[in-house]
Amino acid sequence: MAGIELTDIHKSYGPTRVVQGLSLSIGQGEFLALLGPSGCGKTTTLRMIAGLEVPDSGTIAIDGRVVHGPGARVPPERRGLGMVFQSYAVWPHRTVAKNVEYPLRLMGLRRAEATARVREALGWVRMEALAERMPHALSGGQLQRVALARALVGRPRVLLLDEPLSNLDAALKEELRAEIAALRSRLGTTMVYVTHDQGEAMALADRIAVMDSGRLEQVDSPERLYSEPATPFVAGFVGGANLLGGESGAGCFFASGAKFELPPELSGAEGPGTLVVRPEDLEVGVGQGGTPLTLSARLFLGSSAEYRFPLGDRLLRAIGPPLEARPGETLPVRVRKGRLFRGSFPATKPGR
Amino acid sequence: MRLAEKKLELVLAATLLAPLLAFAIGPVVVLLVRSVASLRGEALLELLSADGRRATYNTLTISAGAAGVAFLVGAPLALLLERTDLAYRGVLRVLFTLPSAIPPFIWGMGWLALANPKAGLLNRVLGAGALDIYGPVGIAFVLGGAGLPLVLLAGTASLSRVDPALEEAARLSGAGPLRALLTVSLPLALPALGSGAVMVFLFSASAFGVPYILGVTASPPTVVLTTRIYGQVLLGGPDALARALSLSAVLLLLASVLLVAGQLLGRAGRVRLAAGKGVSRRPMPLGRYRSPLSVAAAVAAFVLVLLPLFAVFLTSVQKSYGAPLGLEHLTFAHWAGVLTSPRTLSAAGRSVLLAGAAGTLVCAFGLLVALSRKHFPLAGRAVDALASWPFAVPGTVMAMALLVAFSRDLRLVLFERVAFVLAMANTLWLVLAAYAAKYLVLGGSNLSESMAQVDPSLAEAARVSGASRARAFLDATLPSLRPALASAFVLAFLACATELTMSVLLVPTGKAVLGTLLFELQSYADPNAASVLACGFVLLVVLALGAMEAVRRSARRRAVGG
Ligand SMILES: Nc1ncnc2c1ncn2[C@@H]1O[C@H](COP(=O)(O)OP(=O)(O)OP(=O)(O)O)[C@@H](O)[C@H]1O
Ligand SMILES: [Mg+2]
Repeated sequence: MAGIELTDIHKSYGPTRVVQGLSLSIGQGEFLALLGPSGCGKTTTLRMIAGLEVPDSGTIAIDGRVVHGPGARVPPERRGLGMVFQSYAVWPHRTVAKNVEYPLRLMGLRRAEATARVREALGWVRMEALAERMPHALSGGQLQRVALARALVGRPRVLLLDEPLSNLDAALKEELRAEIAALRSRLGTTMVYVTHDQGEAMALADRIAVMDSGRLEQVDSPERLYSEPATPFVAGFVGGANLLGGESGAGCFFASGAKFELPPELSGAEGPGTLVVRPEDLEVGVGQGGTPLTLSARLFLGSSAEYRFPLGDRLLRAIGPPLEARPGETLPVRVRKGRLFRGSFPATKPGR
Repeated sequence: MRLAEKKLELVLAATLLAPLLAFAIGPVVVLLVRSVASLRGEALLELLSADGRRATYNTLTISAGAAGVAFLVGAPLALLLERTDLAYRGVLRVLFTLPSAIPPFIWGMGWLALANPKAGLLNRVLGAGALDIYGPVGIAFVLGGAGLPLVLLAGTASLSRVDPALEEAARLSGAGPLRALLTVSLPLALPALGSGAVMVFLFSASAFGVPYILGVTASPPTVVLTTRIYGQVLLGGPDALARALSLSAVLLLLASVLLVAGQLLGRAGRVRLAAGKGVSRRPMPLGRYRSPLSVAAAVAAFVLVLLPLFAVFLTSVQKSYGAPLGLEHLTFAHWAGVLTSPRTLSAAGRSVLLAGAAGTLVCAFGLLVALSRKHFPLAGRAVDALASWPFAVPGTVMAMALLVAFSRDLRLVLFERVAFVLAMANTLWLVLAAYAAKYLVLGGSNLSESMAQVDPSLAEAARVSGASRARAFLDATLPSLRPALASAFVLAFLACATELTMSVLLVPTGKAVLGTLLFELQSYADPNAASVLACGFVLLVVLALGAMEAVRRSARRRAVGG
């Protein structure tokens, strides 16, 4: 039985459709990352799971119990969830311990028992020493730890996290990310983690659900998402791949006035399509038969270099061994490996 | 689910609107209807009579004079305090805003002690008869001083929001600092200053205490609309009541026009102001003018604020009113007498109860308004607008309206079974209704503003932790509103505890409150005792506001430090 089951969820704010026909099934104990560009509806989806927003239509079940659907509408306080907010939402008028104790008191636990569990939860996030502090005397990372402890203290089956690390600096991010991973394997909580940082999603999640404009594009393991993107958008967003709209025919691909020879496994394709090529799968300056392109910039990365070629209204990015080349020079570029998607070029731009 | 929310909205709107309609808006409408209905005979005569026209004329000229005084002093002060390196700006700012918290009547008492033609303290220094505070000019001067903060605060607020880049652009175009200030920032702040002056006009037209002691008891008397209404009510009888009603309608009309004008001016000013977020701008150095201007501002503060207060204090310790100066003529007998008299104590008790109850009502209603504003923007804003209206209705008119509307007992029969008898005429309940209605706006505006600033995820975190909607509000949102609630309560409490204009019309005989006691002592019996009471008022106000400011500072320090 699934941990969380979303079926055909729709949600609009006035004329803006924020979530459109979203269906998603999250397993018991799974760590699912909800990944997508800003404004694609991740927060809205998470808040609908929590019960803080009401879907226009569709069904939501948690642990096999329908919490939203025809004839069912369970308020957030009776869904038995934990949630970590981007803004921490640590209550400024309560001490750390009192913040963490709150869910337990509402569960009806006695003070002595609650105190023990609070201490345990603060231990998980290494905050025991600061239990009696007021929130105004805590750093951002410490506040986020309190929020995490408060969300976990009631041992919810499901923990929802909305960009919990986005307000922290890089080092703290790394540290808390490891902590979340450790807690998850210790407690076995089902986790839904909203982020727009693909590195974070890749590092933490069992599966990643990629969203764009209110729709699910693909739900898969990080590895498969990377190696077998289902749509050009996923390829562009997750792998940072180049997306070229154009036409294929006679073993070649024509895009923005340039002609690329296709590798043998793709050479059979005909008609309009989108060619998706990772930067490291573009070969620059070696061999013959490459497409001549004008270099606009070369970024030295150490053991390799990034080359940029203007093509139509966008930039083609290639990564390869560092060559002696200056902007303005013409270099041959060859597609070593890639994917072809049928149909016309999507309007969406890749993630960067 | 949509349906349920609609229903909730209706229920909320009804619970908010019912008391508002019953005690604030309804009575004023009744007053208007009654005054139109009786617009034949006596009432019409009153409007056309020499006395009625004289009162209207006096109100207009005195209010215009007060607005002029406040503008002429307030506009340069706003520039000096907000934009220059004037010495002691912090202290001066506090001193110049103090008049807004102290009942205007007390400034009238102070100036009476300073500049009454016979025994005024200043006249003893300058020579007998040099100054005469009685009459229209004196009234306008005192009201202008008391209304000064309205212009000053509007001006400094707007000057602080003018985008500094505008002035910097003028500097780069070749203007000197003074020229940039006078040609760029001042014109931008002018509508706000003007709207402050219009508010002083409204405040002066509504004033009762000052024109009473400086006008009615003078010879020849100067009568304005408010004092004439009061006189007619004292006279009693249906004819006098009709006259009072028609004058109230005139005053209400005048107030409405002024309110709209002030708001339009204020809005016109706001459009052009940029929100310079956290831009701290260098104050303009005054150079060699710094010393003379600082001295001038300090002298103005001394004369307008400290001197009248000192005069009130001196009166409270003089053996008799107008006694010669000198230590042997000083005594604390009045203090002892007033502070131990059972009359003072029972009046203080009533005032504290009434002001406490009114403050609580203001907070509760403000909370409801803020909640409905948050969840139902449209209905909430309508209620908010309605609730802020009684504040602009002159106190005399509001009191007249309540007198007329509740002059008879009202029987409400619900479902043909339950009958309520609302017998509020001649009770303190009517006073409570007047206080709460008048100062409702303090709760609504304070709480809406801070409710908008509370992070909604605080309450959501409580919901997810297992709290119901109501519980989440109590545990997570309400604590963040505590400072706003406290300040709304304190402001409403102070305003009600020292209220005079409505009290003199509404408080039943034998049930004196502090405001009516002060009025009676000053105008009929014992100015020395009145001064003791006035000192008490000032102390109460200064202590309460000081405590509030200290709490706010420490809260801010806690939020920042750590
Ligand atoms: N209360 C609201 N009223 C109207 N539109 C809203 C509301 N809340 C969200 N939206 C819109 O819905 C869309 C999705 O919002 P959502 O917060 O779910 O995005 P998100 O994927 O979490 O983005 P981000 O990564 O920036 O947080 C956005 O376009 C937003 O403008
Ligand atoms: Mg979001």
